[in-house]
Amino acid sequence: MITPPKPRPEASAWSRPFWNAAREHQLLLQRCDDCRQWIFYPRIACPHCGSDALGWQQASGRGTIYSYTVVMNNAPSAFAADVPYVVAVIRLEEGVQMLSNIVDCDPATLGCDQPVEVVFRRLDDEYTLPCFRPLAAIGAPR
Amino acid sequence: MHRNRGRSAIVGIGEVPTGRFPERTAIEGALQAARLAIADAGVRREEIDYVMPTGTLFSFQFGNELATARLVEELGLPGVGSNCQVFSGGSSSTNALRIAAALIETGRARCILFVHTDKLGTGVSAQGGIDLFSTAGISAEWEVPFGQHYSTVAALATTRFKHETGCTDEELSAVCVSNRKWAELNPHAFFRTPLTIAEVMNSKMLSTPLRAKQSNMLFDGSGAFLVTSAERARDLVARPVYVLGEGGAVTHFVYSQEPDLTRFGWAAAGRQAFAEAGIGPADVDVAEIYDSYPIYQLIAFEELGLCGRGEAGGLFLRGDTWPGGRFPCTTDGGMLSKGHIGAGGSVSLMIEAARQLMGKAGARQVPGARFAVETATGGTYFDAQVTVLGTEVP
Repeated sequence: MITPPKPRPEASAWSRPFWNAAREHQLLLQRCDDCRQWIFYPRIACPHCGSDALGWQQASGRGTIYSYTVVMNNAPSAFAADVPYVVAVIRLEEGVQMLSNIVDCDPATLGCDQPVEVVFRRLDDEYTLPCFRPLAAIGAPR
Repeated sequence: MHRNRGRSAIVGIGEVPTGRFPERTAIEGALQAARLAIADAGVRREEIDYVMPTGTLFSFQFGNELATARLVEELGLPGVGSNCQVFSGGSSSTNALRIAAALIETGRARCILFVHTDKLGTGVSAQGGIDLFSTAGISAEWEVPFGQHYSTVAALATTRFKHETGCTDEELSAVCVSNRKWAELNPHAFFRTPLTIAEVMNSKMLSTPLRAKQSNMLFDGSGAFLVTSAERARDLVARPVYVLGEGGAVTHFVYSQEPDLTRFGWAAAGRQAFAEAGIGPADVDVAEIYDSYPIYQLIAFEELGLCGRGEAGGLFLRGDTWPGGRFPCTTDGGMLSKGHIGAGGSVSLMIEAARQLMGKAGARQVPGARFAVETATGGTYFDAQVTVLGTEVP
């Protein structure tokens, strides 16, 4: 079976700044100028108050693992060569959640609520994905 | 009393076996199911004034044929004023019944035929199925690029649920065993041989902690039901299945945006449905809970109030949900044992809920069943839809 190319994000006009920043290894999040809420994923207007006065701010890049899974078998064709790989929902310090991959880790040592930090993985010339790796915890050296 | 409680009813059901049937075309399954439902209700074909097909996934061309009235013409229905598709993925059955009931209650329709058919067992390849379900309903921008697919979707909820409640792999596997016990009694189910917890726990790991036998498989299948007014229903059949209450909650599109992967919207949807129905969870005789993966069956069972949080796994493990148990659950075998047929996963459960209340469930009949609850959810569990049905109006 021929492995298809990795699926690329289909960016919108209003998410373009997020992907442009990721290419430069920066995690930018939208923030509402009116209600001050952080927003992920990028929206055309604030999902909390409806304002269209949205700006971009650099995020801390730190968060915790809300949940995770290690893909072992029956992956989508484009990811079949990557197993085992880790898919996780990350809760960022800013209070938003995002799906990502956890990289640079021993999957057997992962757990819910574990602290992680952002790292970037290049997909192609246009897209770089924000991924995460475990933060070394006291008493749990890597 | 809620103004819509018991004003419409399911009067006929039709279904063909779920499985791999390369010779049975999708339209043949649809027509057989529709004709069975019409005969079951005893309505004249002329009486049907609304045809409501739902979405078909295996073929865009065929899906469009249903959306543009192929069923009306093939069945020869002269009195149809509207052919309109209702589709929300796995929750299509509940959303369709809600819309059908509303059309009946407002007098906009008198007799509605709902039909589902799909050919995911023999109409697509196994890898094609995985690839279809690595993108269908999953955000192309925010999740597909990270390798999200339905195994990871289910595994993410399972990991967090185990973390928060202490639910065990044995309990998750017991859901599969319970559903299999029912499927053994269902001639329309694909998997009918006995299953043990050890077999489930020794099956191939897909995405931790989710194993192969905790995952649904895709098959061919078709089903149909007829909805009419309560008054007309009492003329037609001995035991109308009244639509007593409905509730729903849409909680996300992108899976990572779900605020609570251990609860979803079931509690609010259940409260709404039970309040409208005028009964409580303790009154439920049979629970047809959406089960594409065991985690969703446990979560919905608990969030509806059928038991407390963290308690459902023990009920499945001890056999309380098995045939003869106190809490008969997903009595057609569900997607885990009967088989997943796309949007029809919950159509099967809706038909089974009606079948149990009609007293037509054969070897798996729950004796004296008066009230049933059915749940459904679409996409990456973007919604929680709950229907309460009954043979009497409280």
